[in-house]
Amino acid sequence: MEISHGSYNQKKFALPVDSEHKATEFRLFSAAAPHMRAFHLSWISFFACFVSTFAAPPLLPIIRDNLDLTATDIGNAGIAAVSGAVFARIAMGTACDLFGPRLASATLTLLTAPAVYCTSIADSPISFLLVRFFTGFSLATFVSTQFWMSSLFSGRVVGTANGVAGGWGNLGGGATQLIMPLVFDLIQNIGATKFTAWRIAFFIPALFQTLSAYGIFFLGQDLPDGNYSELHKSGEKHKDNFAQVFHHAVTNYRGWILALTYGYCFGVELTIDNIIAQYFYDRFNVNLHTAGIIAASFGLANLFSRPGGGMLSDFMAKRFGMRGRLWTLWVVQTLGGVFCIILGQVGSLGVSVAVMLVFSVFVQAACGLTFGVVPFVSRRSLGIISGMTGGGGNVGAVLTQVIFFRGSRYSTETGLTLMGVMMICCTLLITLIYFPQWGGMFCGPSSKGKTTEEDYYMSEWSSSEREKGFHRASLKFSENSRSERGRKIGSAATPIDGTPNTYV
Amino acid sequence: MAIRAFLFVLSCLAAATCRGATFSSLQQTLIVTASPQPAQVLKAGEDEITVTWSLNSTFPAGVDSSYKTVTIKLCYAPISQKDRGWRKTVDNLVKDKTCQHKIVANKPYIFPSNNTFTSTVLRDVPTATYFIRAYAQNSEGDEVAYGQTTDSHKAVNLFEIQAITGRHVSLDIASICFSAFSIVSLFGFFFLEKRKSKASESK
Repeated sequence: MEISHGSYNQKKFALPVDSEHKATEFRLFSAAAPHMRAFHLSWISFFACFVSTFAAPPLLPIIRDNLDLTATDIGNAGIAAVSGAVFARIAMGTACDLFGPRLASATLTLLTAPAVYCTSIADSPISFLLVRFFTGFSLATFVSTQFWMSSLFSGRVVGTANGVAGGWGNLGGGATQLIMPLVFDLIQNIGATKFTAWRIAFFIPALFQTLSAYGIFFLGQDLPDGNYSELHKSGEKHKDNFAQVFHHAVTNYRGWILALTYGYCFGVELTIDNIIAQYFYDRFNVNLHTAGIIAASFGLANLFSRPGGGMLSDFMAKRFGMRGRLWTLWVVQTLGGVFCIILGQVGSLGVSVAVMLVFSVFVQAACGLTFGVVPFVSRRSLGIISGMTGGGGNVGAVLTQVIFFRGSRYSTETGLTLMGVMMICCTLLITLIYFPQWGGMFCGPSSKGKTTEEDYYMSEWSSSEREKGFHRASLKFSENSRSERGRKIGSAATPIDGTPNTYV
Repeated sequence: MAIRAFLFVLSCLAAATCRGATFSSLQQTLIVTASPQPAQVLKAGEDEITVTWSLNSTFPAGVDSSYKTVTIKLCYAPISQKDRGWRKTVDNLVKDKTCQHKIVANKPYIFPSNNTFTSTVLRDVPTATYFIRAYAQNSEGDEVAYGQTTDSHKAVNLFEIQAITGRHVSLDIASICFSAFSIVSLFGFFFLEKRKSKASESK
């Protein structure tokens, strides 16, 4: 006997869900399908992509001798590694919209795996640059991770889900600095010479990446109710107009500001992942192993610092609303810049490691804080705004490496100091972000015209679209976003539908 | 008196921090010759280098009284140091990165010296232009004198070493096979996905 469509509401989920079947709780140690299983699959595959992208830096002291690289070649390859993902991240947002995060991320992960396998056969500066360039595309899986979490987790826990998934993925940049020298050592002990051992070592991240793609394809699910291909055919999912979504993303100046400032927290993190092992190896004369451990501890702080940033953002928002989020972001990122300046000045190994650790916490927390603001910039164009911000992170990495860490113009320590100065300057742009319904860093909410959250988010839909009812999800979101006013009395008028609220 | 003691302590500290001394403080009392001809290309792991060193007799007798051991190293020529900060020449010998590959270490210094050493170029020596330098060390292992096959500008008598690639045919084949497998399995995914969605449509 046929079961009617109404049976969807009676489907049992392991976690409590809301009316959209998005999970309202985030249980870290569960792997229940579809929510927590998707979380674990997505952070593990993002982690694998990070491991592959930054697998070369800890082994550079060997690779630079094997391939006869100059400092300029190394700098160019480092820039290439992070530049591919600039546009890939924006394209990924669109791909997730059209095909679903499961297919999009599995496809990208499998397409970039050959680049990692072929790193083993690189034999010149150009081939080295090419393999790092194509491997770097895999960093676009950040967008599919955030998109997937936003599709499966409700607003109450989406910040935590996004922060943990993003942070634990970024862990790969630190873990690889430990894994690759260890694997290299192991292979050398088995009997291979230095110049062969590093090549064999690259099979490990490549295989890890391939396996994670398989896991996502076979075990993952796009939405609580099924995969995109099934839902599109059954008509349950409505496809938005790409041109409109794109238009509302690029005309929102806040997206551009956040893209640039993310370039100076996440971009700085990527730059450090590229240069820090060589820096400790060359400046303090530690061996490859030790340089790897020190470099790893920078990325490993992501275990708690990025999620912590996200949670701090939510905490400040409860009391001070969006203005609290903006202030905290500015303070934390500026302090990150200060510690970067200090890192470049310090000349002893122990103090340098300590400063680097403090610096890592601040810079990664700033990344988490940025994505506490991003979900509120636009509701309709959330995918592309996230992609733009993510892409901006990579642009920042490209810029800093081109200006400060390429060739022999600046010593690495001078480059670090100057990068810190640039961080502080670019972070000042956060002072320009202003939400009419909540205010900005220095100004309160707009008192003229009494702009509400509805006004802000409904401005993304034309009246004809509103007649068709496409804006309903944004309306729901505007109601929920009233929490961004903070605990003080809100300045806007009571909402249109007249629901009573605590501050009248 | 106290000032003199203080200055003495200070100079001892300075000497201690400058362990290994500076290159400019070393005397060039050794004469070093090696088998590679100028501009010859040697293959790492295959070709041999023979180094011969002796004391320069123009120096007064007894200059080598503190020499106990000799270490011979392969050193980068300036052209191979360009744009490569990890091979930089600095005066402080502890921090100097010019000579990173040992041919022989701590061979006993025998007087009257006319010593020879032959070895195969190691397989982890990178492709670059080189000269050879011999350091004479005292009983603490600190350098006290040197000799090299090139002049003070490091411009003459340089030779090249061609490194191994580190690549093997088996590695190349494995890389290509795994890459091809990844792409093929991707198309397999698309095929499976299309089949699943068609099946759910026809239900």
